[in-house]
Amino acid sequence: MSTDYKYVPEPALVKGDHTFGSITDIIAKTPLSPTPKLWYLAFGISNLLLITLLGAVGYLIWEGIGIWGLNNPAGWGWAIINFVWWVGIGHAGTLISAILFLFRQGWRTAINRFAEAMTIFAVMCAGFFPAIHVGPIWVIYWVFPVPNSMAIWPNFSSPLLWDVFAVSTYFTVSLLFWYVGLVPDFATLRDKAKSKVAKISYGIAALGWTGSFRNWWNYEKAYMILAGLATPLVLSVHTIVSFDFAVSMIPGWHSTIFPPYFVAGAIYSGFAMVLTLMIIARKIYGLEDIMNIDIREKMNLVMMVTGNLVAFAYLCEGFIAWYSGYIYEQGIFWLYATGPYAWGFYILMFCNVVTPQFLWSRKIRRNVALTFVISIIVNIGMWFERFMIAVASLATDFMPSNWDYFSPTFWDIITYIGTFGLFFTFFLLFLRYLPMVAIAEVKGVMPQADPHNYDDETKEFVKPKAEPAVVDQQTV
Amino acid sequence: MEAKDKHIHGVLAEFKNPKELIDAASAVEKSGYNKYDTYAPFPIHGMEKAMGIKESPLGWIVLGGAIIGLVGAVTLMVWVMAYEYPMNISGKPFINIPVYVPIAFELTVLLSAFAAVFGMFKLNNLPKFHNPLFNVERFKKASDDGFFICIEAEDDLFSEEKVSSLFSDAGATHIETVYDK
Amino acid sequence: MTKITWDNVALMSKNTADRLGVEAAGLGVANVDVLAITVNGTTVEIPAWVQPGHADDSITITVGYGREGVGKVANGTGVDTYPLRSTSAMLYATDVQVENTGKKYEIACTQDHNSMEGRSLLRHATLQEYRDNPDFSTYDSAYNAELPGEAYAGEQGQDRPLSIFDAIDEADYPDYEPQWGMTIDLNSCIGCGTCTIACQAENNIPVIGKREVSNGREMHWIRTDRYFEGDVDDPKALHQPVPCMHCELAPCEQVCPVAATTHSDDGMNQMTYNRCIGTRYCANNCPYKVRRFNFFNYTKEFLTTGSDPEVVQMAMNPEVTVRFRGVMEKCTFCVQRVNRAKINKKIETDGESLKPDDGSVETACQQACPADAIYFGDLTDPDSKVTQTKKNNRNYLLLEELNTRPRTSYLAKLRNPNPKLA
Repeated sequence: MSTDYKYVPEPALVKGDHTFGSITDIIAKTPLSPTPKLWYLAFGISNLLLITLLGAVGYLIWEGIGIWGLNNPAGWGWAIINFVWWVGIGHAGTLISAILFLFRQGWRTAINRFAEAMTIFAVMCAGFFPAIHVGPIWVIYWVFPVPNSMAIWPNFSSPLLWDVFAVSTYFTVSLLFWYVGLVPDFATLRDKAKSKVAKISYGIAALGWTGSFRNWWNYEKAYMILAGLATPLVLSVHTIVSFDFAVSMIPGWHSTIFPPYFVAGAIYSGFAMVLTLMIIARKIYGLEDIMNIDIREKMNLVMMVTGNLVAFAYLCEGFIAWYSGYIYEQGIFWLYATGPYAWGFYILMFCNVVTPQFLWSRKIRRNVALTFVISIIVNIGMWFERFMIAVASLATDFMPSNWDYFSPTFWDIITYIGTFGLFFTFFLLFLRYLPMVAIAEVKGVMPQADPHNYDDETKEFVKPKAEPAVVDQQTV
Repeated sequence: MEAKDKHIHGVLAEFKNPKELIDAASAVEKSGYNKYDTYAPFPIHGMEKAMGIKESPLGWIVLGGAIIGLVGAVTLMVWVMAYEYPMNISGKPFINIPVYVPIAFELTVLLSAFAAVFGMFKLNNLPKFHNPLFNVERFKKASDDGFFICIEAEDDLFSEEKVSSLFSDAGATHIETVYDK
Repeated sequence: MTKITWDNVALMSKNTADRLGVEAAGLGVANVDVLAITVNGTTVEIPAWVQPGHADDSITITVGYGREGVGKVANGTGVDTYPLRSTSAMLYATDVQVENTGKKYEIACTQDHNSMEGRSLLRHATLQEYRDNPDFSTYDSAYNAELPGEAYAGEQGQDRPLSIFDAIDEADYPDYEPQWGMTIDLNSCIGCGTCTIACQAENNIPVIGKREVSNGREMHWIRTDRYFEGDVDDPKALHQPVPCMHCELAPCEQVCPVAATTHSDDGMNQMTYNRCIGTRYCANNCPYKVRRFNFFNYTKEFLTTGSDPEVVQMAMNPEVTVRFRGVMEKCTFCVQRVNRAKINKKIETDGESLKPDDGSVETACQQACPADAIYFGDLTDPDSKVTQTKKNNRNYLLLEELNTRPRTSYLAKLRNPNPKLA
C-alpha cells in the first residue's frame, strides 16, 4: 500500500497584491486621518460606562463591601471572578506576541499589535478589582514591601501577594514589549504625518528611530529576549493567579491541576476576545487583507485546542475527585452538578465543552459570523467557569452548617459592566492614534522582504512557488 | 577634504529592493569601510553577515539584570521573613523556599525585561532626536518602503567621489550627499 | 433550634407543611409562605417554617413578638400572636383553621442547611456503643478509614500526621508561656446559645439587623450549629458550638497578604484589626468558617447610631477594640481576659511566672455556659481541667484530616436511650 502525500504550501500571509508601500498606507491611514464620526459615538458610550464604573467604585468606598452580594461563607464573588477573567483575556496577547514569535509563526504579525494592546488594557481592568475588593481601600498600598512607619512587611507566603508581583510584572513587561514593538511604527507615522502636532508626538515616541540595521540588530535581539521572557511570564502569571485558589484548602480549589488548566483557559478566552474585536475592527478599518480568513482559521484552531484542554481538565478533576476518595472533593463535584449552582454548571459545560467541538469543522472555522458567535459564547463560558470555581466552591464547603447562597447585587453587575467602559475607552484611543497592525513586522514576513526570493542576476523579485512533492510510501 | 561652509555627514544611496541593498552592503564592507549603515523598514535576513556585524552584547546585559532580580528578591524575602520581623504564620518555617519561588521568578523576569529594553536603547544610542539624515526628504521612505545605505564622512577611506561611484556601480537608484545641519 | 433571628414563625413538620402547600426554605434568602391561623374567629398572619421532628398536624407559635412602641429592636419584629391566646386556650388550642395566604415573607435564618451530609462533624454514640468501642470518636472509627498521613507518620516515629514543612511544633513554643486550649463537651451542651450571646456582650460584636442576617453576614464569633440526623420524621437534633479553633497550622494565617493574622507564642491565633485590609482570603480559607467580616460599618451605623443614649454606648466593653468596616474579626479566646490574667500573675509572682492558675481566667462563653460544657485553660499545666479533657477518649478534633491542629477540641456526645423506647 502506498500513500501519496501532497505538499500544501503555507497560504500567503497577506492576501491581495500588496507592496511595502501599500501596507504602510492601509495601516498608517487611520492614525493620520481625521476621526470618523462612528468613533466619537463609540468613545462616548465607553466614557459613559467608565463614569459608571467610577461612580460604582465611589459608592463602594463610601458605603463598604456590603453593597455587593458577598456574605459568609462566600467572601469572594464577582470582583475576583472579573479579575481572573480579565487577566485571562490578557494572556492571549502575550501568547500571540511572544510564544508564536518563538515558534516562528509569521501569521502572528497581522494581529500581535492588536492583541498586545488588548492585553495591556485587559490587565488594567483586571488590576482594578483586587484594589477595590478590599475593605479599607485607602490602605491597599500596604501590600507593597516598602519600609514604613509600622516597621512591618507583607506576608510573602500569601498567594495574593504573589499576585501583586505577578500582575505588576506582567503589566510592566507587556507594556515594555508593546512599546518596543511600536518604536519602528512610530517612526513610520512620524515620517508620514502631515500635521506638526502629529509629527512631534510620533517623533518623540519614536525616539529618533532611523531604521539603521545596527539598531535593528540589537532590536531583534531585545525582541527575542523579551519574547523569551514573556513566554514563561504568561505561563507563570496565570499560574500564580490560579494559586489564589489552588493554595487554599477548600474542596474544589485545592487542586494541582489548576495552573495548567487556568493557563489553557486563559488562552482560550483571550483568543476568543481577540477574535471578537478583530472581526469588528477589520470590517470597519478595511484590513481584511491583513487580518484575513487564514489567520482567523488558525486562531480558531488554537481555540479548539485550548478549549479541549479545558474540557479535559474538567474530566481530570472529576476523575480525581472520585478516585481520591476524599469525601469533600467528591462532595463538591456532586454539588456542582446537583446543588444550588447546577444551573451555572450546565451553562459552563455547554459553553466550554460542547462549543469548541464545533471548531473541528473547517467550514465553521472559516465562517466569519459563526466564529464571532462562538467567540462570544466562549467568553461567557469562561466567566462562568471562574464563577463556579470561586462562588460554588465557597458556598458549599466543609461544614454544611455554613452553606449559604451568593447572588450578585446591582452594584456587582454595574461595576463589571463599567470595566468594559474602561477597556473600550483605552482600546478606542489605541485604534484611533496608534497603528493597529505591526507595520514593520508584517513587512518583514512578506515574501518580498526575503533577499532569497530575488534572482541573483537580475535582482528581480521571484514569487515563491508552491512545490508539490509526491512521496511514495510502501509498507514492507 | 574640501573646505565647505556645511560639514558633510556622509553620502546616502537608495536601492530598489532588499536584495540590491544586501549586495551593495557586501560591496561596501568588502571595500573596507566600517563607518556606514543600512536603513530599511524592517530587518533584512542575512544583512548582519553582509555587514560583518558581530553578535549583540545584549544577552550579557540581560543576564546581569536577571541576577540582580533573583538575588534581590530572595534577599528581600529571606531578610524580611527570617530576620527583620519573623512571625509565626501558620506554623511555617521562617525561611520557606517554596513560597519564595513565585515572587523570585517574577522579579527576575521584571529586572531582565528592564535590562533588555533599556539596555537595547542604550546600545542603540536612543533616544536620539537629531540626525542629519532626517534633513533628507527622501529618507522618509526608509520607514516606508525605501532601502538606503549611508557611508559616513568620519570613515578613514571616505571620499565623496569614490563612495558615489561605488554606489552607482552597485546599482543605486539615487545618490545624495548629506550635510550636517 | 430554629436558628431564626428577628421574627417568630409557625413551626410545623414536613408532612403538615406539604398538606398546607408550604415549602421549606433552601439556601440563601428564605422567602417563606405566610399562613393565616384562625382560632375562635381571630386570625393572625404568621410566616410558616418547617421544623424537622415536629409532631404532625400541629403548629407551634411563640408569643412575645410584634410589640410596638418599645424601641428599635422590638418594633416591626415578628407577629403579635397574643390575639390567638385566650383564657380558654392559654397554652394550646384545638379548634384551629389554617390557610396558606399565598403571601411571602422573608425570614432571617443563620443556618440554611441542616444535614451533616455524611461528614462526621458531630460525633455521637449511644452508651452501649461507647462501651463496646471506647474509641468510637476517633477519625478511624468515624470514617472507617485511616487518617491521611498517619501510617507514614507512624513509620517516621511521629504521633501526628506529618506536614511537608518543618512546622513550628510544641517544642518551639517558649517554656515560660502558657499554651491555651479549649474543649467543648458535646455531652453537656444543651444548645441554648448562651455562649453566643455572652461572647457578643463581651466582645462588642455588632447586631447587624434582619436584612444583613438574611444576607448571611451574622457576626457571631461563636455559633451553635444544629444538625438533624436520622429519620426525617423523627430526627435527632444535635448541637455543636463552634468558636475559632486557634489552629496551630492555621490555614487563615498563611494567606493573609499583609500578615494581619499571626500566631502568638501562647498558641492563640491573633487578629490584628488595624493591619487588616479586608481581602477576606482568610475567611475563605478557614474550613470552619469562624471568621467574620465587617461588610458595613456595623459598629457605628448599626449598633450605635450616634443618636443613641449614652447608656447604650456605655454598654460596650471598654477592654475590647471595636472594629471598623472592611476588617475581619473572630473569636480571640477572650484575649483581653487572658492577658489581664497573665499580667496579674506576673505581678503576683514578681515576674516569675506568666501562667495563670487554672480557673482564674474564663472565657465569656465558658463563664456563661449553664451546662459548664466549655473548658478553657493552660495545656502546659498537667493538672488543669482542659488538659484532663484532652486525654479523655471521647476527645476528637473537628476536621482533623485537614491537619490544621486545632487547639479547640470536642468531647463526643453520648446518648443513653431506653432500649424499650428506641
